[in-house]
Amino acid sequence: MAKEMILVVDDEAIVRESIKDWLIQSGYQVLTAENGEEALEMIKKQDFRVMVLDIRLPGESGINVLAKAKTINPKLKSIIITAYPTEDTLIEAKKHGAIDYLIKPVIPEDLEKLIQDTVNSIDDGVATEKERIEKAPSPITKLYSITSSGVKSLIEGLIREREVIGVKSKQGKFIFDKLNSYDELILDYDITLLPPSKFLFPAKETLLKFNVESGPKFQVVNDAKPRALVGVHPDDINAIALLDDVFIKINPDPNYITRRQNTLIIGVNCLHPASESFAPSMGTNTADSGYDLLLTDIGIGFMAAVGTKTGAELLNKYANPREVTGEEIARQKEVRDEAVTKYQRSLNVPKERLLKLLQDNYENPFWEFRAKSCLSCGSCVMVCPTCFCFDVQDEMALNLIEGERYRNWDGCVLVDFAKVASGENFRHTKGSRFRHRILRKGKYILEKYGRAGCVGCGRCATACLAKIASPVEAFNAIAESERVKEEADRIIIEAESKHNIYLPHLALLVNVQDLGAKEKVFDFKFVDGRALGHKPGQFVEVSIPGIGESPISISSSPTRGEEFQLAVRNVGSVTNALHKLKEGQVVGIRGPFGKGFPIDQLKGKDILFIAGGIGLFPLRSLIQYVLDKRENFGRIIILLGARSPSERMFTSELEQWNRNPSVEYMETVEKGDEKWTGNVGVVTALIPKVRVDIKNTVAVIVGPPIMYRFVINELKKIGLADEHIVLSLERRMKCGVGKCGHCQINGVYVCQDGPVFTLEQLRGLREAVL
Amino acid sequence: MKTSKINVHYITRVEGHGDIVLNAVDGEIEELKWKVIEAPRFFEAMLRGRNYNDVPIIASRICGICSIAHTIASVKAVEAAFGINPTEQTLTLRKLLHNAEYLESHVLHTLFLAAPDYLGVSSVFPLVETHKDIVVMALRLKRLAYNMAEIIAGRKTHPLGCVVGGFSMTPDINALKDIKQRLEAARGDLEIIVKLFKTLEILSFERETEYIALKDSREYALVNGDIGSTDSQTLPVSSYLGVTNEFCVPWSTAKYTKHKRDSYMVGALSRFNLNHAQLLPQAKNAAVELGLIAPNYNPYMITVAQLVETIHVIEDSINIIKHLESTGLKEETPVVKVKAGRGVGAVEAPRGLLIHDYTFNDKGILTAANCIIPTNQNHNNIQKDMEALVPGILDQTEDEIRRKLEMLVRSYDPCISCSTHLLKISFTNKK
Amino acid sequence: MKPRVAFFDFASCEGCQLEALNLDAGELLDLIAAVDIVNFREAMSESSDTYDIAFIEGSVTRESDIARLEKIRQRAKILIALGACATIGGVNCLKNHMPMEEALKIVYGEDAKNYDTIPTKPIDEVVHVDYYVRGCPPPTSEMLKVVKAILLGKKPEIPNYPVCVECKWSGNVCAFERAMTCLGPVSRAGCGAICVTKGRNCWGCRGLVDEPNVDSEKEILQKHGITLEQALQKFQIYSTGGEKK
Repeated sequence: MAKEMILVVDDEAIVRESIKDWLIQSGYQVLTAENGEEALEMIKKQDFRVMVLDIRLPGESGINVLAKAKTINPKLKSIIITAYPTEDTLIEAKKHGAIDYLIKPVIPEDLEKLIQDTVNSIDDGVATEKERIEKAPSPITKLYSITSSGVKSLIEGLIREREVIGVKSKQGKFIFDKLNSYDELILDYDITLLPPSKFLFPAKETLLKFNVESGPKFQVVNDAKPRALVGVHPDDINAIALLDDVFIKINPDPNYITRRQNTLIIGVNCLHPASESFAPSMGTNTADSGYDLLLTDIGIGFMAAVGTKTGAELLNKYANPREVTGEEIARQKEVRDEAVTKYQRSLNVPKERLLKLLQDNYENPFWEFRAKSCLSCGSCVMVCPTCFCFDVQDEMALNLIEGERYRNWDGCVLVDFAKVASGENFRHTKGSRFRHRILRKGKYILEKYGRAGCVGCGRCATACLAKIASPVEAFNAIAESERVKEEADRIIIEAESKHNIYLPHLALLVNVQDLGAKEKVFDFKFVDGRALGHKPGQFVEVSIPGIGESPISISSSPTRGEEFQLAVRNVGSVTNALHKLKEGQVVGIRGPFGKGFPIDQLKGKDILFIAGGIGLFPLRSLIQYVLDKRENFGRIIILLGARSPSERMFTSELEQWNRNPSVEYMETVEKGDEKWTGNVGVVTALIPKVRVDIKNTVAVIVGPPIMYRFVINELKKIGLADEHIVLSLERRMKCGVGKCGHCQINGVYVCQDGPVFTLEQLRGLREAVL
Repeated sequence: MKTSKINVHYITRVEGHGDIVLNAVDGEIEELKWKVIEAPRFFEAMLRGRNYNDVPIIASRICGICSIAHTIASVKAVEAAFGINPTEQTLTLRKLLHNAEYLESHVLHTLFLAAPDYLGVSSVFPLVETHKDIVVMALRLKRLAYNMAEIIAGRKTHPLGCVVGGFSMTPDINALKDIKQRLEAARGDLEIIVKLFKTLEILSFERETEYIALKDSREYALVNGDIGSTDSQTLPVSSYLGVTNEFCVPWSTAKYTKHKRDSYMVGALSRFNLNHAQLLPQAKNAAVELGLIAPNYNPYMITVAQLVETIHVIEDSINIIKHLESTGLKEETPVVKVKAGRGVGAVEAPRGLLIHDYTFNDKGILTAANCIIPTNQNHNNIQKDMEALVPGILDQTEDEIRRKLEMLVRSYDPCISCSTHLLKISFTNKK
Repeated sequence: MKPRVAFFDFASCEGCQLEALNLDAGELLDLIAAVDIVNFREAMSESSDTYDIAFIEGSVTRESDIARLEKIRQRAKILIALGACATIGGVNCLKNHMPMEEALKIVYGEDAKNYDTIPTKPIDEVVHVDYYVRGCPPPTSEMLKVVKAILLGKKPEIPNYPVCVECKWSGNVCAFERAMTCLGPVSRAGCGAICVTKGRNCWGCRGLVDEPNVDSEKEILQKHGITLEQALQKFQIYSTGGEKK
């Protein structure tokens, strides 16, 4: 392999030469420059991987060189060395993309390791490049120095102002709990049993209260108590940053947001990590933002990094801060570097390689093997700071009039997590659940949110009785590498005051009709007169307070007026209750959710509709739409399959479609009866009977899972491309807004990225199993 | 020719299953039996071979109503076998926990099980219409007892916190302060209940028998003491076998006991007769108000004695909590060192004297067990009471006779399912 | 028409029914407004042979119990097993681990022949059970949950995950980290992990989850210092050991 090229820039010859010698011995190619102008000229001519740069240069300053070098060679990575660390220069250097800084005299081994890590982390284009989230302006970070009595009065001041949750001891372990006095607080600890995020996203919380006395009424419940979390380690700070993205950026979660906005975060750098922790491997043993204050115990006092205006105010009010000295900055670096050496676990590969590693090892027998002793006990996910799946349930009071809808922590490793009402479990082996969790931690979350899904805190490895939960062990066990650098950018966005995502709208049942032995169609309209405004293919969550909520596809087209239709089969508690409703009664409706059918993609095309059984229910919405806007589309071919003539539904509408001269209509039943004169057989058998122009046709299919396999087979036989085959998938859906986790297929959420998918999209999702 | 035929199958409003059978023709009693037909439960067979940690957990399941009494007797027996002396705090908390059970058990019996008879109804449910305040009050007192037990031991039915050597959890003193306030409020409730009971016509019948209960020189014995009797000197608990003398009868799955006479009684009336002088003043006053004067030989007055004891435990609990407020509560971790040995633990369960007797090997595994259940000791007395009562009421209607017999059994507050299982076991080297 | 509810007990300590009565005044009034309690031997003298919902506490331990239970099943539309003895056999099962004759002899000596006893069975080994309310004793809230579910016409949501989940929700220090051994990882949650929260370990009184990894649990117990035999003993306190219920 070619030797990496390093550029060393320093005005002192002895520094230049000694570093150069050391690096050459370590196997690098090294060139030197004695001032900024020379360095820039060399960078123009050579492709250096890494630059080691002194801040204090004659002529062009180190910072300017840094900035200019970036424009010449954006891929060049720089390491600053300096004898005079000041806070300002460090911030500037960071702003211009310096990797790290070292204080002179530089210890050669440290430099070498830093270069080694930096070289390994270079993006060579193999990793999937995910769209970067727009960077917010650099967070405020200013450093001050305070004494330990300053810390004490800060905490005591906070206790007077608000509820303070700090680290305390419990039965020989540590927990976050309410502080009654400063003396209870422990700032030097290894790990807590549960993460501090449990105060932002508690194990159980009420979302809504409801009353059904004269029709359902819902009332929002929120906790706006002012709090402060004290003693939060950087890994947990990073985890909270992820939760902020999850709960705030898309579909803002009102309960989380209220708590978050009312909670201060006072972090503390970890000096004695837990034995299972591998935070440095995940880049989470430090935090540049995401806190109001971040304290470091440097022995001779504390350093306080300010992250927000509120943090600065608190510091001024209680802690008597003063400007930091160079000695203190050096001491802080020493302390933190020493802490890094105390970690006992680490990734054997750069974390950037994880994405590809996990992707390429989906079928690795390691997953089943490792999960053999898994108890599916949930300990790993319940103690995890980056886990956020939850379940939602209704509980009625004994008087059957009032009750509440609450949520509690759930986990993908639990057996019934992916089970639907009809009894099918989409992740029913221990190995598949284990794999899913590890892939979430190392891949899916990173791809979806741009942040690490695991902060390496080590809680799961500690909690797991079978000793199989540690992600770093799993990652290492599989081991390849690619480094994707994700930049932390977090600022709490002012959540727009939209409608609370968990609060149902009231809808009046206008009409009910039987469709089949277990099926009915319901006509609803919103009590406040608004239109649903849905796209064909979307679904709603129907609420019967006290019983629960159920996802139901919308069966009518948005072109058909204010009322919308839901065709429902009676399979579970909610649909059972729905079937008992009479006209004039009221239910709750949330939504519409999900991606509908790709209308734009269908414009001008021939559409081949294929529906099996109650797959007709969602497909009908699109068929109606297309018929209402007939001129926008080409041929319309409808193929329907039912089990028997008595199980055909919407029969008069089917008649209309059949008689419509601009529709090519074919139907079949699997088993006929004495009166049936039509086709007998599976719907797949109808496909060869139609002649389609495969370049201009899109097939839209909805039916039971077994049907998909055969239909897709036939369509591939006639040469239809993957991106021209559209399907709608079923999974267990609870929240409908991409948070509770139950509808996941690998890294996508069916309720957000689906339920409509093209076959091309599904090819990358192994759990879709088609 | 007057025939009285009474067959009460599975008498109601008692814990467990028992039958009353009476056959009389022309004033001649052909058959009169208190039959215990509860399913035998084989508890000591179940305790054999278990680790000492599991023993109180299993023993607690002997009874759902007096699970606290069984748990305490059980841990005391283990501690006696291992030579462990619990701390002052543990002893105090056990007393408080035990009081909670008394409060719940006595309220349940006096108001839900016994009172309906006197108020002319067949259960507490109609009382919701006619005596709603009393029902609400009874539920409130039960809830108070329940919460008290929860705070001390985690749960009332089959408590968790009471373990060999001490407690596995430390109660929150602020929660106990709260309980104290509720106990103080309960005084008013008890006054109303006493007033109610004064209006009831307690049936009168007397048969003097031997009365046995724990005796403690320091206080009204509920958790600690030696075996006291109206017929003999006080004996140490370890010599209980000479007092109980269990024997079988063919019509009963429960065994009978006898000491100085044909039978003896345990329970509230026995405790009252032996230890009334040690009742707290408020309880003593209530006894006088209710016409309960020692010695009393009327089994129907057991219910009244329970009411007096309820007042006593409320006052006692208030005093205990005040004491704990001044000493504070410390987190204490039980320390247990296992050794071979035999130990006997005795408490006064709400229904009477309860004894657990265990033998362990040097690994802490139980090799032998014997338990004497309160109701066990009363079956014989009930039989003798019936034999003395019936001749004098044979001229009354069948309904009246049945009612009096049922109420007699009920007043003993029997706990029948606990009583049908235990016997001395000899280790037969089977394993 | 309010549903008619009846309580029956077999071999039990009657603690479960007691817990059922452990409601505050408001709840009791709501309960009797919603249902008619027509049979509750421990608390009332009336009884009835017509009922819609029957709660059964206790296990089957005698030949004569079987006919009695079958008759109740015939009369009730819905039969609910209440408590560990009814759902999984409970502590009554401990006697199953020695031969019947030996147990009888130990307890009753020569009079043993007078007593009818068979190996303990949970009631679903004799009749079909519609709902299970589990625990020793079950939390009152779970009994009410089942009653409410029946009244609302929905399936009661009883957890199928291990006690560990609720232990973690409560922030407990794991029993294994406090020098104890615990059946929580294979036992069904729904109790709020109360035993561990109060300083003890879990004895599995609610039975196993649907798919327990018993082998893994045994290994873990052994790793924490108890022999395989002792581990098996642990499973036996409440049931005949190991099966799912």
